[in-house]
Amino acid sequence: MKATKKWLGLALSLVLVFVLAACGNSNNGNNTSNSSSNTGTNTNTSSNTDSSNTSKDEVVNLTFWTLGSNGYDVLVEEWNKANPNIQVTVQNTGDQTEHHNNLLTALSANSGAPDLFHLEIAFVDKFLENPEKFYNLNDLGAADIKDNYLDWKWKQVSSADGSYQLGIPTDIGPTAAYYRTDLAEAAGLPSDPDGFSAAISTWDKLIEVAKAYTASTGKPFVDSTDLLYNALRDQSNGEIYFAQADGSLIIEQNAQVKKAFDITVQGIQEGWIGSYGLWSPEWYNAMNTDGFVVSFSPAWMGGTFKGNAPDTAGKWQIAQLPEGAGNWGGAFVTIPKESKYPEQAYAFASWLLSKENQLKSFQSNGLFPSIPSLYNDEAFTSYTDEYFSGQQTGVAFGKAAERVSPVYYGSLHDTADGLVKAGLRNVLEIKADPQEEWNNAIAEIKKLTAR
Amino acid sequence: MVRLSERTRESLTAYTFISPFFILFAIFGLYPILFTFYLSFFKWNALGPMTYNGFNNFKFVLTDSTFWTSFTNTLLINVMGTIPQLICALLLAVVLNSALLKGKQIFRVIYFLPNITSIVAVTLIFSVLFSSEGVATWIATSIFGMDMESISWRAGFWGPKIAIATMVFWRWLGYNMIIYLAGLQSIPGDLYEAAKIDGANAMVRLTQITLPLMKPFIIFTVLMSTIGGLQLFTEPYVYFSQSGSATTPKTGITMVIYLYSEAFRTNFFGTAAATAVVLFFLTIVFSLVNTFITNRLGGDQ
Repeated sequence: MKATKKWLGLALSLVLVFVLAACGNSNNGNNTSNSSSNTGTNTNTSSNTDSSNTSKDEVVNLTFWTLGSNGYDVLVEEWNKANPNIQVTVQNTGDQTEHHNNLLTALSANSGAPDLFHLEIAFVDKFLENPEKFYNLNDLGAADIKDNYLDWKWKQVSSADGSYQLGIPTDIGPTAAYYRTDLAEAAGLPSDPDGFSAAISTWDKLIEVAKAYTASTGKPFVDSTDLLYNALRDQSNGEIYFAQADGSLIIEQNAQVKKAFDITVQGIQEGWIGSYGLWSPEWYNAMNTDGFVVSFSPAWMGGTFKGNAPDTAGKWQIAQLPEGAGNWGGAFVTIPKESKYPEQAYAFASWLLSKENQLKSFQSNGLFPSIPSLYNDEAFTSYTDEYFSGQQTGVAFGKAAERVSPVYYGSLHDTADGLVKAGLRNVLEIKADPQEEWNNAIAEIKKLTAR
Repeated sequence: MVRLSERTRESLTAYTFISPFFILFAIFGLYPILFTFYLSFFKWNALGPMTYNGFNNFKFVLTDSTFWTSFTNTLLINVMGTIPQLICALLLAVVLNSALLKGKQIFRVIYFLPNITSIVAVTLIFSVLFSSEGVATWIATSIFGMDMESISWRAGFWGPKIAIATMVFWRWLGYNMIIYLAGLQSIPGDLYEAAKIDGANAMVRLTQITLPLMKPFIIFTVLMSTIGGLQLFTEPYVYFSQSGSATTPKTGITMVIYLYSEAFRTNFFGTAAATAVVLFFLTIVFSLVNTFITNRLGGDQ
């Protein structure tokens, strides 16, 4: 008898342990504000009520998922020293698809999302469609700092009526022409930024210059198909693949996309585009040797050049893109709804992206500020970079930034873009028929909208 | 108090002891599987609400030419990577099992090592071997006299498949060899002695004694290779992400990469779930067919 009881008791408690564990989990998942443990709920309410002046005995720990090389870890250290009650932990990822997928699964499961998330522009629309997963930063005071930031950048993460704000802008990615002064000079081209910009002031001129360079040296003039295509694509007028009004596919109506495709194909066929894949070891090697003359890259690419091409330091300068500028990338800091400390998180985010700190991020990692009042600031314009032959890089990219017109992406932008580039790669690598690749890409993108 | 018979008590005890597995399996195994079946009838982007979509997800997947490309790719890579690999594994096991060889232990470890190394690291190394300056290119051009243009290890039709099949071959050779070795050691030595006395040579002993008695082990490895091969993902995924693009080119897309792209590149979780269900049934079909064929191959004793 006794033995039976004992066994039954054991069995029951075992089953209970697992069932309760499972329940606890799903509870936690369904309404995150109710933390699974009692103590959690208590701290939660107390911190929500008087968070602006955090109670002295309590330390709030915030997690911050960041993307790419941005130097935020240094700024976070500074913050942690100054704010012993709000400690921020940085978790950095290099792979942007992975970075956003981690957030997607965490949000979907209602568990595991960070307090602060570094959201890249190409992925914004996916999350903007589900605003209930993030705090409305206007409720936390973002409306007050709105005017500090570039208007178009701010609106990329606002609802149409402006009442909802998903994130605070970090940097923007004005695109310019990184070019080798020594190679330009050897080829008889002007080596100063203004002269070089004038020599490639239109895409037709660029093609002529590139053809001549390749004919005389046998080397490519432009580095990669992806970057040339990006530069042309981002000069689209307001929209690229999808319409802002109703999200419909407009790739066939957008002449700029076709032009981007055609010029890239021409470059491949005439041999003046390198076969280096973007981010490949071959590409890094080419920038560290004399592999190419021009790379159409955004401001944040400066860190990549410095890190991977130490041997060509001092031989680069920044000129302007043919026919206007473009913007590739840039990001925002957002606060997922799961965070228990939105006010502390907001306090940190608004500090991190303040004027002073955006200047620091620019100086350390080339992140181009989204605060226009900096563009005329002495500290910003006087900054010179030895890597770029002592050029005032802030001024150079500032010229590009002034000409940037914002574009709408849409939640399927990244996938559609990948399909077009896959077609270009086939033209490059297996000499596929460009017209066929273009048709294929369009057919594949149409399938995306048919699911 | 309810009186429990001795028998009930005993089985209750037994169930209690095995219950942790079943409870954990129900949460982490069964629930996701059932949810996948459920999800395959819905449209879902992982964040918003789910909307019922009938059989449209299946219709989309089964009429999508990319899916069928991924299907043939998976099969081709498997045939190229698995069949030669199982044959080599068996021959290697026979060699290692023979009394002639010294240092068996070392060879066993060496052959098994690939299986426990990180697939990502392995793929990165093979990416270098299969780059334009790699060993594979050198072998193809200078030994087989092919020209550089015709072999494209990343974009051509056969190039990527050869590269990935080679990785599969290298990785699983040792694993299957160890299983065969265990099988060989379970065959009683007196059978061979008797055969030797009857005048059977090594070839006859291999085909008449070793192979028939190894059949259960061969069926096991064929089954495991079939299931594992249909789920091929990491090798092609890492190999193609080396070229720095968010999409896997059609020539190297496998069924699980297709599934992954649906879910995590385009966020159509419904069609991804439908792909998983299709893959589930395909795996059953191929496992049955392959087991049947292998069973027939050895003939009956």
